[in-house]
Amino acid sequence: MPVDTKRIRGPEESQSPLLFLSPDKAPKAPSSRQGVRGNGDVRPVFARCGLVSQAKGSAYIEAGNTKIICSVYGPKETERRDETDMKTGRLVCDFRLAPFSCVKRGAWIQGSEERDLSATLMESLRPGVCLHRYPRSQIDVNVMVLENDGSVLAHAVTCASMALADAGIEMYDIVLGCTLRQSGNACLVDPSYAEECGSWQEGYGDNQGCVTLALLPNLNQVSGLNADGEMREDTLTEAMRTCMDGCHKLYPVVQQALTRAVKKKAPPPEK
Amino acid sequence: MAAGFKTAEPLEYHRSFLKENCRPDGRELGEFRPTTLNINSISTADGSALVKIGNTTVICGIKAELAVPPSEAQNKGYLVPNVDLPPLCSSRFRAGPPGEQAQAASQFIADVIESSDLINLEELCIEKAKLCWVLYCDIMCLDYDGNLLDACITVLLAALKTAQLPEVTINKETDLAEVDIEKKRRLKINRHPVGSSFAVFDDSIIIVDPTAEEESLSTALMTVVTDEEDRLCAVHKPGGTSLSGEKLQHCINRALTRNKEIRKLLDKVHESTKTMK
Amino acid sequence: MDATSRLCMRTEMELERSCPVLREYGSEQSLLSRPDGSSTFVQGDTSILAGVYGPAEVKVSKEIYDRATVEVLIQPKMGLPSVRERAREQCVRETCEAALLLTLHPRSSLTVILQVVHDDGSLLSCCLNAACMALMDAGLPMSRLFCSVTCAISKEGQIITDPTARQEKESRALLTFAIDSNERNVLMSSTTGSFSVQELQQCIAISQKASEQIFQFYRDSVKRRYSKMQ
Repeated sequence: MPVDTKRIRGPEESQSPLLFLSPDKAPKAPSSRQGVRGNGDVRPVFARCGLVSQAKGSAYIEAGNTKIICSVYGPKETERRDETDMKTGRLVCDFRLAPFSCVKRGAWIQGSEERDLSATLMESLRPGVCLHRYPRSQIDVNVMVLENDGSVLAHAVTCASMALADAGIEMYDIVLGCTLRQSGNACLVDPSYAEECGSWQEGYGDNQGCVTLALLPNLNQVSGLNADGEMREDTLTEAMRTCMDGCHKLYPVVQQALTRAVKKKAPPPEK
Repeated sequence: MAAGFKTAEPLEYHRSFLKENCRPDGRELGEFRPTTLNINSISTADGSALVKIGNTTVICGIKAELAVPPSEAQNKGYLVPNVDLPPLCSSRFRAGPPGEQAQAASQFIADVIESSDLINLEELCIEKAKLCWVLYCDIMCLDYDGNLLDACITVLLAALKTAQLPEVTINKETDLAEVDIEKKRRLKINRHPVGSSFAVFDDSIIIVDPTAEEESLSTALMTVVTDEEDRLCAVHKPGGTSLSGEKLQHCINRALTRNKEIRKLLDKVHESTKTMK
Repeated sequence: MDATSRLCMRTEMELERSCPVLREYGSEQSLLSRPDGSSTFVQGDTSILAGVYGPAEVKVSKEIYDRATVEVLIQPKMGLPSVRERAREQCVRETCEAALLLTLHPRSSLTVILQVVHDDGSLLSCCLNAACMALMDAGLPMSRLFCSVTCAISKEGQIITDPTARQEKESRALLTFAIDSNERNVLMSSTTGSFSVQELQQCIAISQKASEQIFQFYRDSVKRRYSKMQ
């Protein structure tokens, strides 16, 4: 077995204490939102731009307990010259979950899940960025999830597009993300971590699934769609519509954060 | 004009400030940047803290897991500190396995934990040779603007102080561990090590708490770690230009006062969260 | 008189009485044919083999426009290098960088490879001494020489210079310093364990005293080599 020689190592094997909970004491996933918020409501969002001093642009987003930070570097010369496209720039996304961000401790080494999420994030962002304005250069987008309480991909998309805007990268539109969890007839917008994985335990059935959608709000175009599970056609179309509504709900918060950042960078002339 | 001078001749730019006993950001030579501390910000971790020294931001999350005690010390547990410098925090770091700086920082933090006797590893043992706690202390830099080591020590200390472990008993009949998540206990912290970093300019001028730019222009870096009894836990100077005994003493004296400042900050933050509950 | 200078005087007085004891040490240079410079350094049972390559071509990603890039690799006796070796490499590299006149070889690389032959305490010291001898052997321009001394403070507070692995294990604190040949100041410091300020100053003073012996040894061994060549 290859060992990691570049980090301080602990024991070869260790288990999460949650595996040893006595069954009657195990915390149960709440079956409904119990009046805390309606099924169609998104969690209150806190967004800020320009927190990372070293980056060209950065953003931080907090939705419920989900906390994501993103920084953007570039445009700079491409590192991989063999693939250089003379006409357009390259968007390089790195999506990482901090080891302490999930209920179970994650590894330092990027797993396949993170690589998939990086690719999806890139696909969702690319239609929003005017890449033809940056020939032969690359723009690095680094996303770090500090705490995962559901809907990480959707919020990562929003956070990354805010960071791109903060970096002054030319864009057609901002990209907003929203996740929806379909559980039978109930449809939960912006699900928490417990809601995301809780209902899988109840078994697979008809109309069970997750939909993540990325939207360019001004153009009203969808730039990314990721759905898993099993859903009927009409449910899926309905789910997409609900997600688009969810994105529009997020838009004013993002706008506010961006105008705030611009005002801070270039204060309006005093009268 | 000033911006052009700064880009073209960064060293001369800094020297012109140091000549007047001040620094480009308005600080005096012996002045630290404002330091803030935030605790328990990550609910998925068993203990967490976020420290900002000026722009430098470091977050630490502690995850506790169960394992078999090490064979060479069966009445002890594990404490596994790792420092990560992701490409997010500065353009100087690349994605992939940790580079030399991150690895050296991890080793330094591990050495400080051991030297300062920060916590008793025997306290992490649940049952001898059978079960113990592993505390994974993952420290991540979110914004790199110099003085990483001071921030790492403080963030680790603050996170360990907030960490709570659930009660574990071993069922005599089944010989399996049982975890009671409702009963939690805090760790006993023996000592409070605090680091103070220094940078040497032109072999003679010493400044504290260097920014990333000052670090790269300086000829030597040094970190002194002290505890509350004014003992030294580490005098770490990986190389660079030499320092005389008197200069060293000057740095140690500054480190001792810094220790008091940070301890006050830690107490204040922990006190304020207690009263909030 | 302030506290510092009083402290220095006291340690000096104490030093008059005791001369720091080092284990038997020895070195051989130019023993490998492939590297540009090589040496072994033996302190008691601790032994290091060092090779220096350079100035040579440097990878574009590591190129520095106004000086040479120094790389140090420490190979442990067994297994792969770990985080601990990486921390030692950093100490050796930055010490070498301070001693070498790197601006004379811009856009080039200098590589120091240190192979641990046997570890019986004071390993970092031995690495630094071997590195310095190898750099001299390679004929690289340096502004100063450096040597290193390890001091262990026992549980009773006694200071032991150049400890063995066993003495290291029994000690309360372990301090390693690199001393430069110009002003006998501290180039590098790496410590484990806790100790008082006074103990630190004492250890530095002892190391400075012990460094005289090692620098004399450097001088003698180089003299011997070049007189043989004539």
